[in-house]
Amino acid sequence: MASTSMSTPQDTRSVPKKQGRAMSDAWFAVLLILPAMIIIAFFALYPLFYAIEVSFRLADLTAGGIKGFVGLDNYRTVLFDKFFWESVTTTLVFTVVAVAIEVLLGIFVAFLINGATVGKGLIRSLLILPLATAPAVTGLFWRYLYDTQFGLYNYFLGLLGLPQPNWLGDINVALWAVIVFDVWLWMPFVALIVLAGLQALPKEPFEAAELDGAPYFRVLRKLTFPMLKPVLFLVIILRTIDALRLYDAVAVLTRGGPGSTTETMTYYLYRQGLVFFRMDYASTMALLFLYAVVVAALFALKPLLNMFGARAGAR
Amino acid sequence: MLERKSTPFEILRYGIILIVLLWTVFPIVWLILTSLKPANDIMVSPPRFFFTPTLENYAYAIGKANFAMFIVNTLVVSLASTFIVVILASLAAYSFARYNVGQGNILFFILTTKMMPAIAVVLPFFLIFRDIGRTPVGEALGIGLDTRAALIISYTIFNLPFAIWLMVSFFQDISRELEESARLNGYNRLQVLQKVVLPLAAPGIAVTAIFCLIFSWNEFLFAYILTRDAARTITVGVESFFTLRGILWGPVAAAATISVVPMLIFVLVLQRYMVRGLTFGAVRG
Repeated sequence: MASTSMSTPQDTRSVPKKQGRAMSDAWFAVLLILPAMIIIAFFALYPLFYAIEVSFRLADLTAGGIKGFVGLDNYRTVLFDKFFWESVTTTLVFTVVAVAIEVLLGIFVAFLINGATVGKGLIRSLLILPLATAPAVTGLFWRYLYDTQFGLYNYFLGLLGLPQPNWLGDINVALWAVIVFDVWLWMPFVALIVLAGLQALPKEPFEAAELDGAPYFRVLRKLTFPMLKPVLFLVIILRTIDALRLYDAVAVLTRGGPGSTTETMTYYLYRQGLVFFRMDYASTMALLFLYAVVVAALFALKPLLNMFGARAGAR
Repeated sequence: MLERKSTPFEILRYGIILIVLLWTVFPIVWLILTSLKPANDIMVSPPRFFFTPTLENYAYAIGKANFAMFIVNTLVVSLASTFIVVILASLAAYSFARYNVGQGNILFFILTTKMMPAIAVVLPFFLIFRDIGRTPVGEALGIGLDTRAALIISYTIFNLPFAIWLMVSFFQDISRELEESARLNGYNRLQVLQKVVLPLAAPGIAVTAIFCLIFSWNEFLFAYILTRDAARTITVGVESFFTLRGILWGPVAAAATISVVPMLIFVLVLQRYMVRGLTFGAVRG
């Protein structure tokens, strides 16, 4: 690394050194990381190893805790569990629909704000407010907003002459209620990131295009979007990983209901593990989930973050 | 940027922005308004927008549940875990940014620890703290189920990966030359870190700290599973208050407002850095 070569000329200088004995850069670097890494390694790996071990055992906490090895039985049970696959489907539908709406709407809003001449600061500070709130608390209040009788949303829909759905009670609508809440919470986040990306674009290519009289949509297609690509990818991946892990909103808004129509994977996991205390199934599911997300992240997120890192390093 | 500046287009632009802002802000405004409404203005159809504000919902909520204790617990847990996280994370992040330990692989491993569904992590934590709590050491140190210490430890682990990532991006912005010239002037590495790097990184450290504070304050699942009474935090307090008195939207809104408002104020102060924080430092907002 560059740092090792950097310290060599300094050691030969006659500047009075205050340090007692020389420590190599590598040791110094490792020493700084050590306390954080010990904590992360212990508390991150312990649950992981716990889950791996339990996934090969019989572990019904209502019937005597963790028992003997059962091989791959739990994996078989989970993979043939109809409700597991239903929860996977619900999670995927939720993720695709919610992230698509958030990203498309977020990009649109970001472009509108970017072109605005006044009030940008105020717009930004207002957009950010949902992100400050605990989803577990605001989600709770949204039950009141969704109320069929006293809720604000159906009141406004009524004023506009639109149908007034039973948001949390209708099996065809409940997942949409969760999606709308998620869009409320996260669309501003997407908009703000894309806005930051837009404002960081270099000016020159756009001025050149303007001089050439290039039409607006051609500039968008040939210049803006290609240059914005890394930011868009990043926001899509971050949102996807988060949406797959959705828990708080479901827990307070619908509790998986009505029936199991809004039961996402993490909520099913919660019920198996902490309501039925079947830690074996729950751990197995958690591992399958973690595996899927980490593989996705390795392929998608890592190159992207490296790119941002390299860009920052070049500064 | 190329933009069409015709008047109708501008009116449309601000019209849509206004609708988006109303949609974004209204649930929060309505929450606060509901908390100030007299009982007979809440369960009415159509909803009432004008009313005589009252504090009776707050009086009721505070009388029925120990919100003062929830707030104290939340404050202690959030501040303590933030303090520990900031110290550990700034040391580690500086090392990652300056010496590139692990060539990014360790850094990425740290990030993957955040991808385990929280729900799957919480039960092993529950068991760890239950077992520690039964040992003499745990009892002596006050670590165990339903203790603030358990939440402080949990939130420290929970926020460390994020804090390290965010701080790496801040440390990368500090010029290497400055450090090198300090070393030429006879500072050792620790002095460089202490007297040159950390002061320069102070804004980044402050931002990270406030983020950790917000995340800890708003955390729900760990607090829900790991506490019963004594260490209960505000988000769980609001939830259990709702479970007991769900129909009373006024007091529930008052409780929710108590929980939400402090972080709203923080975020308004912090808004310039929010984008950076929420993208793990990748996008400089």
